[in-house]
Amino acid sequence: MREAWFIGADTHTVLGRSLADNIAALSTPPAPQQIELRFGGQTIVIPYLILADQPLEDIERRLYQVLYAVIGQALDEAAKSGMTAAQRRRMGLFLGTSSADVSVSEARFLRELETSPDATALIGSNSISNLARHLRHHFGLGGPDYSFNTACTASANALMSAVDMVSSGDLDHALVVGVELCNVITATGFQGLGLFASQTMQPFDQDRNGLILGEGCSALVISASAPKAEGQLGRFHLRGSANLCDTYSMSAANPDGSTVAAVMNQALARAGLEASQLGAIKTHGTASLHNDESEMAGMRQVFDTLPPVCALKPYIGHTLGACGLNELLLFCGAAQAGFLPGTPGIASPERADLGVSLNQSRLPLAPGHFMLNFFGFGGNNTSLILSNTE
Amino acid sequence: MWIRALGDYSDTVDTDELPALRQLVREALGAPVRRIGRFIQLALIGAGRCMGEQALPAQTAVYLGSGRGDLDVTLEVVNPLFREGLPPKPLSFVNTVSNATNFYIAKHFGLAGRSNFVCNRFFAFEAALELAMQDIRLGYTDSVLVGSVDLVTASLHQHRARLELPPEHPVAEGSHWLWLVGGAQPEDAVAEVQLVRQFDDLRALLGHLHALNLSSERSWLLPGNFVDAASIAEIQTTTGLTPVHLDAREPGYYDSRAGGAISAFLSQPDGDTLLHINRETDGERFCLMQVRRISRVS
Repeated sequence: MREAWFIGADTHTVLGRSLADNIAALSTPPAPQQIELRFGGQTIVIPYLILADQPLEDIERRLYQVLYAVIGQALDEAAKSGMTAAQRRRMGLFLGTSSADVSVSEARFLRELETSPDATALIGSNSISNLARHLRHHFGLGGPDYSFNTACTASANALMSAVDMVSSGDLDHALVVGVELCNVITATGFQGLGLFASQTMQPFDQDRNGLILGEGCSALVISASAPKAEGQLGRFHLRGSANLCDTYSMSAANPDGSTVAAVMNQALARAGLEASQLGAIKTHGTASLHNDESEMAGMRQVFDTLPPVCALKPYIGHTLGACGLNELLLFCGAAQAGFLPGTPGIASPERADLGVSLNQSRLPLAPGHFMLNFFGFGGNNTSLILSNTE
Repeated sequence: MWIRALGDYSDTVDTDELPALRQLVREALGAPVRRIGRFIQLALIGAGRCMGEQALPAQTAVYLGSGRGDLDVTLEVVNPLFREGLPPKPLSFVNTVSNATNFYIAKHFGLAGRSNFVCNRFFAFEAALELAMQDIRLGYTDSVLVGSVDLVTASLHQHRARLELPPEHPVAEGSHWLWLVGGAQPEDAVAEVQLVRQFDDLRALLGHLHALNLSSERSWLLPGNFVDAASIAEIQTTTGLTPVHLDAREPGYYDSRAGGAISAFLSQPDGDTLLHINRETDGERFCLMQVRRISRVS
């Protein structure tokens, strides 16, 4: 198996327009905005962590503007790392998303309904892969495209397959993209499930009261060739990974922790590591009691002594299908800068109600091996082991 | 890699009254499954027919591909929401995640292996099979249930408009599944999937096919939904193989019709090798599925 290097990356979240801006902002979780969404004669106001510098306007073009900028930046960095134009033309595209271009379809349908009550929904785009094809054409990518739609694990699963294809020699380069932007279906769906918190997400905290949706878009270029110069993610690579189905419930992992532990153990085994060798854990941390209980129970089964534990959703919200890549880049970027993010006041030793507290402030982090966990609706559990050392 | 079982459902839909599927689910699984939409019903019918009474190893992975995904449940949410301001029903919203289908399949068969849903407009089944084979090759699993599903939504007029098909063009829905295993050839293997590979362009595909030096008598060259006549003619010239043209209007159009190619090949007696060729219509890529029949000596 070949090495799969991370040679170009960029991200855009509420924290900022670049990976560097995001890493710099990992000190105090931001408060969500209250945004208005209109649909079918109704208006709702919900908390949302909207992209920085990207107002909710011109929805039919906004998605593409965000994607073009983020992917373009990641490709530029990859080019500086040695990827040639010919290699770029052959690279595969691995898109992980829950909503793909739904925001665009919604805006178009709403516009058409204003002039014709007989307008037909989902005319312009009705396949998740349409977005991947659009991006391939825009960036002149001639390689294969795969669109992964496995709820909150989508972009983590896209990364797994991309790394496997590069490592096994099927592809020399892969572009992994995770994107999730504000849309009415997602917002009203989660509101209907009663899952919204009113303020910051507080996973593993006694005052948890649900999630805040966040917008996010990330891109990562993976190469079989070592970069000419060390990039933003240094020597980080995916050392091991696992994805397993959990049939306990459509919307929550098994609360006994068994299925969560199984996917963590499989990822560790594939990484060739013992749990005791990990330097930190990034939790999924959705701040619902069921999910927090399942995740904590799973960690307790795998680890005799837990390493430092962090959560990133308090910073960027739950970016659903994109959270795999968004949180991976934030975690790796922070670790590359030498620290583990803290979440001040959230699940502190005094406030953690499941017996494990979150890291409270920036903690120095040496190169090592790290576990990042993601769990999704439809019983989809994914665990990634990232390393920036041998 | 070896195919131990296959199962299919496909049917023409020619009225706005969509075929009832509940009884077919019951027949395929031996029990009813409640509160699921047509997409999940189709998947369960195909997967149930594939496995019959056989049990799957618990660590079997489920790989599902689709060209469009579950348009039915999406429309069930979109139309009331934007026309009348009615928020999504919780179960409908949860089922909008495509891997909800994988969940029901895994639950029915008692599976706890990998679960993946991949969407590709032109190579929906092929992409799922390609990724499944990669998992087996890398040693992640030795058993995968691979399938594809695409459905029809009412009205047919609107469905054809979404798929950019001309009025009156026949449309269908289909669910195609196979049980794929790695390792040594099992006694009950019905076919070997020798290759699923995408090629950058026609020239690369032709180079591969030419090197195979296949017998024209024993090979089935089956053009997929999207491959054009000129490309097939060039393949015919280069390889000497004669394309087998299944009636393109039967049962009707759906994106992942390639999923039925292997069953179509195995259900008739001719030929040792299937070469199913598809292409993307807005790009240069081609995809080849190469499958060898395993003959039984009675």
